Amino acid sequence: MMKHLKSVISLTAICGVVAVLLAMTNYITAPVIEKNAQAAASEAMLVVLPTGEDFQAVDLSAYELPATVTEAFTEKNGGVVVKLTTAGYGTGMVVMVGIDASGTVTGATCLASNETLSYEKTYGEKAIGLTADTVESDLETISGATKTTGAYKGVVVDALNTAIILGGGSVDVRSEDQILADNLNAALPAGEGEFEKLFIAEALTDTSAVYKAVNGAGYVFVSGESFVGTDADGKVTSEADEALKAQTESNAALIISSEITEIDLSGYEMPKQIEKAYKTATGNFVFELKAAGFGINGDEYYYPSGEHIKIKASVTADGTIIACETTYQSESEGIGSQCAEASFYSQFNGKTADNYGDIEAIGGATITTNGYKTAVSKVFEAVEILKGDA
Amino acid sequence: MNKESNMSVLLKGLLKENPVFVLILGTCPTLATTTTVIGALGMGLAATAVLICSNAVVSMCRKFIPDTVRIPCYIVIIAGFVTIVEMFMHAFLPEMYELLGVYLALITVNCIILGRAEMYAGKQPVGKSILDGIGMGLGFTIALLAMATIREVFGAGTFAGIPVPFIETHTIDILIKAPGGLMVYGMLIAAVNFITKGKAIKKKDFSCAGCPSAGNCHGGCASAEKEAE
Repeated sequence: MMKHLKSVISLTAICGVVAVLLAMTNYITAPVIEKNAQAAASEAMLVVLPTGEDFQAVDLSAYELPATVTEAFTEKNGGVVVKLTTAGYGTGMVVMVGIDASGTVTGATCLASNETLSYEKTYGEKAIGLTADTVESDLETISGATKTTGAYKGVVVDALNTAIILGGGSVDVRSEDQILADNLNAALPAGEGEFEKLFIAEALTDTSAVYKAVNGAGYVFVSGESFVGTDADGKVTSEADEALKAQTESNAALIISSEITEIDLSGYEMPKQIEKAYKTATGNFVFELKAAGFGINGDEYYYPSGEHIKIKASVTADGTIIACETTYQSESEGIGSQCAEASFYSQFNGKTADNYGDIEAIGGATITTNGYKTAVSKVFEAVEILKGDA
Repeated sequence: MNKESNMSVLLKGLLKENPVFVLILGTCPTLATTTTVIGALGMGLAATAVLICSNAVVSMCRKFIPDTVRIPCYIVIIAGFVTIVEMFMHAFLPEMYELLGVYLALITVNCIILGRAEMYAGKQPVGKSILDGIGMGLGFTIALLAMATIREVFGAGTFAGIPVPFIETHTIDILIKAPGGLMVYGMLIAAVNFITKGKAIKKKDFSCAGCPSAGNCHGGCASAEKEAE
């Protein structure tokens, strides 16, 4: 027993003495190590803010900052260095941005990334000299690396917003999705935060989008910057001026009464791009299309998916596109896949057979854009055929 | 009683019982840190500091550390000194700390240090244990420096980062890679064997008397059976 006790006491005593020695060493070295770490971090910060002096870390919890911001530092001359993490083509892209006291970007560098094309290594140089007012227009994304450079641009914008907020200014740092959700909730609180976007098959007046509450409480009509809520019967429930109220109630009546019937295409010789066609009670047509983009016509070297792009488009009887949207795509990720973004397909809204080609092509995705345009052009032909005028 | 002179204790680690080239201990850090002379010097001196301190403390405590828990006690002492060296290096030699990386912490499990604690410091007085630590540590450092000099000069064309004329443009790249490290290691062992005419190797004691586990062994191992024959 005594033998075992002696072993336990000996080992415990040695552990205790070693622990005390380690604590003493840590007491001496910890401040030096911290100082060295700060000096190393300052050195990295000087790369993006060469005039910076005496960097001090900012307590992020005291501010409402963009979600991408992981660290921020202020310095003696009023400059700010912001460290942000985002996802480009891959995840974990860490960018450090320096902004001087006047709100101008002095440097931006990528500290870590998993991107494939390495555009992030030099893209930061393009941001130098930009401000919050000029960054959106002057910092262009690079064709073929839209995901990487788009994400990089996003964090530069976030860094500039952070500098404004840290300087006592005010910026809306919500994401586009958050802003949309907030606007929908404000317009129709009875929707309880769950809305689905409707595909518009009726020619509505001055309306860019319509959302329906999933619980059936009503609709929200987007007209310019205004979000107007109606109940399930189409009566406006949110604040709006009389003209907007009348317009919204007229649009709501069209949406609520809208009926759509599938057309049997077997009796028609339709363009091969037309898969299905529908007619509304008001005489409009809705088409389901397939477009041969890069997935079908792409260079075999780049392994095209072999799949069509699926499109839905509504057209008035006189041949004006009401709405167009991509319902499926399997194009090259980050390039042709942009055909699924509203900024691309909504360009066709309001177009006719004469001007449908006047849209901005997707950079680096000519085959996708041309295939898409060809498919959309066939709806005008189809309308003529269905009207019996062909 | 050990009649070995202090000078003999100090000098044996340099060549006759060199831990790297004769006892073949600490091979992992030897191969890993000898791509640069600076890295080798840092590792050698760090290991020497730990060796001297741990030998001194193990020797001081040898009379009250029970035999059954001696290995855990030695490990705690060695790990403590390694952590202290690591902390000081992190604070005052940050570049060296970055250069040595994980191998600095791995000094804890370096066979040389535990081997000297078990085979020498656990049985000898403090003074001689410190001399043994200095000798073995210097032997380790010299061995690392010799290997690193050959690997860096002929493999990278530099010495301690300074370019060596002519060789700089005629490097043997394999020397700074793992196979090159093993080749240089083998050649240096052969050179030491040649210089000592093989006596150093032959003097190694493989009998029960030289076995670290002799105290707890009851003669049941293969070596003991062979010795009995």
